[in-house]
Amino acid sequence: MERKIGVYICECGPNISEKIDIDKVIDAVSPIEDVAVVEKFKLLCSADGKKFLEEQIKKNSLTHLVVAACSPKDHEKTFMMVCENAELNPYLFQLANIREQCAWITEDKEEATKKAIRLVKAAIGRVKYHSSLEKKEIDSIPDVLVIGGGIAGMEASLQLASKQRNVYLVEKTSDLGGLVKNYEKTFLGMKPISDIIDEKTKKIDSNGNIKVFKDSEVEEAIGFFGNFEIKIKRTNEESEPVEINVGAIVLATGSALFNPDKTPEYGYGKFENVITSLEFEKMNLSGKILLKNNKTPNSVATIHCVGREERGYCSEICCMYSLKFARYLKEKLPNVKVSNFYSDLCIPGKTDQKFFNQTKEKNVGFIRSSNIKLTKKGEQLNIEYDDENKNKQNLLVDMIILSPAMVPNDDATKIAEMTGVSQDDEGFFAEEHEKLNPISTSTEGIYIVGCAKGPKNISDTIVQAEAASGNILSSLIPGKKLEPEVKTSQISESFCIGCKTCLTVCSYGAITFDETKKISVVNEVICRGCGNCVAACPSGAASIKHFKFNQLYQEIKEAVK
Amino acid sequence: MNELKGGIIPSKTGIRETIIDLIEKSVDKGIFDAVIIPMKVPSGDSFVYVLVKDKKLLKDGFPLAPTMLVQGAKAVSSVTRLGKGNMKIAAIIRPCEARATVELAKLGQADLDNVTIISIDCPGVLPTSDFLEDPDKYLKKFDDAYKNWDDKIMRPVCQICDKSSMVTGDLHIGTLGAKKDTCFIISNSEKGDSVAEKLDINLNQNLDSWNSKVKAISEEKKKKRIKAHKELKSTVSGLDNLVETFSQCINCHNCMRVCPVCICRLCYFDSDKVKHTAEDYLTRAESKGSMRFLPDTTLFQMGRMMHMSISCVSCGNCEDACSMDIPVGQIFSMIADETQALFDYVSGRSLDEPIPLVAYKKEELHQMEDAND
Amino acid sequence: MKEKEQKKDVLVIGAGIAGIEASLLLSKADRKVHLVEKTSYTGGATIKFEEVFSNMECSTCMVAPRQQELLQDNNINLITLGNVEDVKGSVGDFTVKIHKKARYVDMVNCIGCNACFEPCPVSLKNEFEEGLSERKAIYVPCAGALPNVPMIDTDNCLRFKGKKCTACQEACMFEAIDYNQKDEKIEIKVGAIVVASGYSLIDTKPLSKFSYGKIDNVYTSMEFERLYASNGPTEGNIVLRDGKNPKSVAIIHCVGREEKGYCSSVCCMYSLKFNHYLKSKIPDIKISEFYTDLCIPGKSHQKFYEKMKETKVDMIRFNEIEVAKQGKDTVVKYSTKGKKNTLPVDMVILAPAIEPKNDASELAKTLGISKDDYGFFKEENPYVSSVISSKPGIFIVGCAQGAKNIQDSVSQANAAVGKVLSLS
Repeated sequence: MERKIGVYICECGPNISEKIDIDKVIDAVSPIEDVAVVEKFKLLCSADGKKFLEEQIKKNSLTHLVVAACSPKDHEKTFMMVCENAELNPYLFQLANIREQCAWITEDKEEATKKAIRLVKAAIGRVKYHSSLEKKEIDSIPDVLVIGGGIAGMEASLQLASKQRNVYLVEKTSDLGGLVKNYEKTFLGMKPISDIIDEKTKKIDSNGNIKVFKDSEVEEAIGFFGNFEIKIKRTNEESEPVEINVGAIVLATGSALFNPDKTPEYGYGKFENVITSLEFEKMNLSGKILLKNNKTPNSVATIHCVGREERGYCSEICCMYSLKFARYLKEKLPNVKVSNFYSDLCIPGKTDQKFFNQTKEKNVGFIRSSNIKLTKKGEQLNIEYDDENKNKQNLLVDMIILSPAMVPNDDATKIAEMTGVSQDDEGFFAEEHEKLNPISTSTEGIYIVGCAKGPKNISDTIVQAEAASGNILSSLIPGKKLEPEVKTSQISESFCIGCKTCLTVCSYGAITFDETKKISVVNEVICRGCGNCVAACPSGAASIKHFKFNQLYQEIKEAVK
Repeated sequence: MNELKGGIIPSKTGIRETIIDLIEKSVDKGIFDAVIIPMKVPSGDSFVYVLVKDKKLLKDGFPLAPTMLVQGAKAVSSVTRLGKGNMKIAAIIRPCEARATVELAKLGQADLDNVTIISIDCPGVLPTSDFLEDPDKYLKKFDDAYKNWDDKIMRPVCQICDKSSMVTGDLHIGTLGAKKDTCFIISNSEKGDSVAEKLDINLNQNLDSWNSKVKAISEEKKKKRIKAHKELKSTVSGLDNLVETFSQCINCHNCMRVCPVCICRLCYFDSDKVKHTAEDYLTRAESKGSMRFLPDTTLFQMGRMMHMSISCVSCGNCEDACSMDIPVGQIFSMIADETQALFDYVSGRSLDEPIPLVAYKKEELHQMEDAND
Repeated sequence: MKEKEQKKDVLVIGAGIAGIEASLLLSKADRKVHLVEKTSYTGGATIKFEEVFSNMECSTCMVAPRQQELLQDNNINLITLGNVEDVKGSVGDFTVKIHKKARYVDMVNCIGCNACFEPCPVSLKNEFEEGLSERKAIYVPCAGALPNVPMIDTDNCLRFKGKKCTACQEACMFEAIDYNQKDEKIEIKVGAIVVASGYSLIDTKPLSKFSYGKIDNVYTSMEFERLYASNGPTEGNIVLRDGKNPKSVAIIHCVGREEKGYCSSVCCMYSLKFNHYLKSKIPDIKISEFYTDLCIPGKSHQKFYEKMKETKVDMIRFNEIEVAKQGKDTVVKYSTKGKKNTLPVDMVILAPAIEPKNDASELAKTLGISKDDYGFFKEENPYVSSVISSKPGIFIVGCAQGAKNIQDSVSQANAAVGKVLSLS
């Protein structure tokens, strides 16, 4: 096939023309084999420039285009569009950066010109080996699967559902509401939880675009962003699973509490009237705060940070809900003595300190303590502790509420494996990037919200559910096709030796193993072209489109010759 | 390293007969359906690996053959590369072959689910060219050397091998330190345990005499190894020495072909990537003044070394196959010691130990990050 | 009756990390975004940090790709040196008037070569560098600021004060300096507004017990961030005012907490981060962290604290504290566990409370949204959503709504986008 490469050098106003002898570059590259035309132009990214390039491509029947100008980050897309408009495949194009990498880094015009010549020759050497690549477009399903019908799941469902987008909400118990339905009130403003839950439940029930599956679990979730195939099964039933197709998945599976059995110094399960915070919430919701012997307690102590050392993180909400418990107690039993045993007060929210101050005013004790040990003394419980000054103290109380750490749910690993989502060291679902992508995961199209990704309060959970909807609403648009990465990995069937090294390094789950042929296969829709597999492949079977060995070799060869 | 347990079995006739007996019994009891075992070819001047299904042919088996033309791991890999099959197979191979088999299993080139690896204390193996001078004479020399555990006539890499009794398969026949007319049978896995159980072998015997003899021999060999490597290093260090050492290489690629852990279907050095245009060669010749052909032989050696060093088991088959008598096995084995030591890795030591280049350790990342601070 | 057309365009106020994230996500949904930024650069506070907790990622490297994306995004109209002056209308149909100050430098011709700085005769303290170094009247706030185009500070430029000076224009080879540029009044119509205007640190001068401004080597956290920054006034060398390396440092948490009445949530973590900064440059330095309660929620944060503890930092819980001079020494006087102590140190770093920006009140009035008791923009109801302000169609995100870390600011930005996209 005859190649006709067109090389165009941009003057970039004075940026390039005053730092590089462009005519010398033209002279140097014109004689290169397959170079059909070499010209310069004042500003190629301008409207005139783009028109000029398009005309040049057509007039000279160019098969390849090289532009020597600014950084690809600036205008690679611009010139690729010019190619498209001129009906030249946009991947038969190479941009040589003779501005940021050349004109802008030296005052020495001679050196700059020499380097520019190398860069342009390298681009020409490379482009000869480019192949046409086609953009892929795949249909996407705008519907969303939300796993978990707690506050996060309910909020996400309500945000996402619309006439053009169905939401399938799967909840493993028989009721929506999750953990919070056990609470009487919220800790900010002491508002009744039932109002919040009832309102959301009503909205969900009346929303025709949300289909709720109670007493159900997701059994299978395979596919990729835009096209997931889901199987939903009713638990404890022999029925056939329901099969649905969705474009995105939101994991809102919540969390559980650390089991204080693991910290025997707190006497949980050993002594009566030592209960967890969740048990206390339920007791409080029932309206009657009673000891095991049905008497009302005269003194209650809350012990913070149970399991914090074992788990290795602060669970963020316990200090605040312990304050809430103090309020509950004072509301229902005005004369009760309440003490909080804590190490550091974690009250970061803007109105949290005010809440704390107001709670303290109600005669609630705060004891900074360490080395807590519980023993029984008659009907009461004896708390032995070291106070702030490391003196040994003790306090007798009737009832103890433990604030255990928040931990991932028992089925977190199962769900992680099923969806391919990573778990962090603590077992919570791992986000794509701690700071800038806190809701997405490395599996495109799967989002994690709420306590399933780490302990947090209701307000932040709601924000995350909305954030997931923000991500989904902007990327999964009804009717809009998805354009997966063009420059994906390819694994040669004949050279793959089946060692599975690539599978261990692919962060996106884009490679599967064909057990019959004993070779690795790339899913080009999921592949993001990161190149890990190419670097890791010991036998050179994997390569990335547009970054093939020969393309890179020729580029480097011409650059260093 | 798991605690090895073992039993004692009678070995009145030679070790070969003992092993054949063991295998025949096992096949009789249905423990194995087929056996991979060396056999002498009819002409008597070679030994090959054979997959035996007909138990009547087992008596011709020749474990601990004096030559090793095909590395046992290649044989096991050939049979099971595309899957384990439904037959239970025993493979009677040397420790370095067992190690290579384990490496290949980790690289997805062998499926060991239905394979029981049985290794033997190894005195070494002869250079093939020596053996071919006079096969009968050399077979007798080999057997004498075996009796005295004398490695002078063995391959250079065998003479400095400190892992000749390394246990990594399922079962291992220990002849060192065994009382007269007996030998040890040592189990390294559940599979091995199960075979011993079915053969009514009690694995709770005292292995101290084997352990101490093996340790003594290994330490002595280690000393020899360090000394030999020091001398060898000086002959290949520096670019001039390196080129000189490999100047005889004719790029026949025999070494690569017989190496059990060189597994690529198309070697980089056989591919288009090393084929260049006339212009490229002329440019190279121009910059250096001249260029020898065929080019890139040292590059081939270095490239192959980089690719397989982490899995090299020092079997020496490469040197044995080298048509130009380059001490390539000794050199590669020496470098492999160093590359594996970098990662505290011994190739083939354990099926559960991932190959270092695919094992990610979080703390290593921070070593890299902090190194740049 | 014809239904009033809902405008799809969105106004984002503030090009810090929250504003950038919101703009990029909205653009992904093919919405046109007008991103108005008060200063001449994008990135807000995050580009002042060298590293962020808890994995010590390079902050500018983290944000730069987003800034690049922003500058090239055709859907986003970035208006720097812009100020929202008037907002009328309601959700779906806001009319916004923006005052855009002239930069006096042509953004197309300027290549960012910085040749115009040297000849400028005016030198003054650089606000971006917290006054630790100087800048000229024509300047970019720091190396690497994006957009990489300088601006003329007309309050200090000789020419704009009536004198004859064309030094910068003469030095420019690309005809990029244009004294004839004029401020612009821009009017846009949008359907929703996202307020991401960020925060300030409380002024520590009036908190006299910390002696900030009185004792030389007392720094605020932001000043210290600039000291450590590799593109900062000392290129990353941690030095005292006299140029020497400090041998001992006291980091004081909760500065201004009592006055403000809330915990600023990020200071414990960044104070621990400062440990890492200090130890990496001055391995033998002695560090004492003075705190009241250690507030480190966040799954990776405690691990980071444990790691920092291994560097032998002294964690001292205090009841009362002050910074004073004792002879020639600077000392931290504190009471802990009922005892009074005095610790001489070379350097003191204060972690001041996060408060709303000083123009937050004005912006609230312009937008017609409520503020809370602390001056932050008020969320309508945290159990409905903390990003919804008192006015439908106007959303509040990031530290403008309350002190928070980068992750939570970005989550809120994403949440606001979700709300905007589901408006129509």
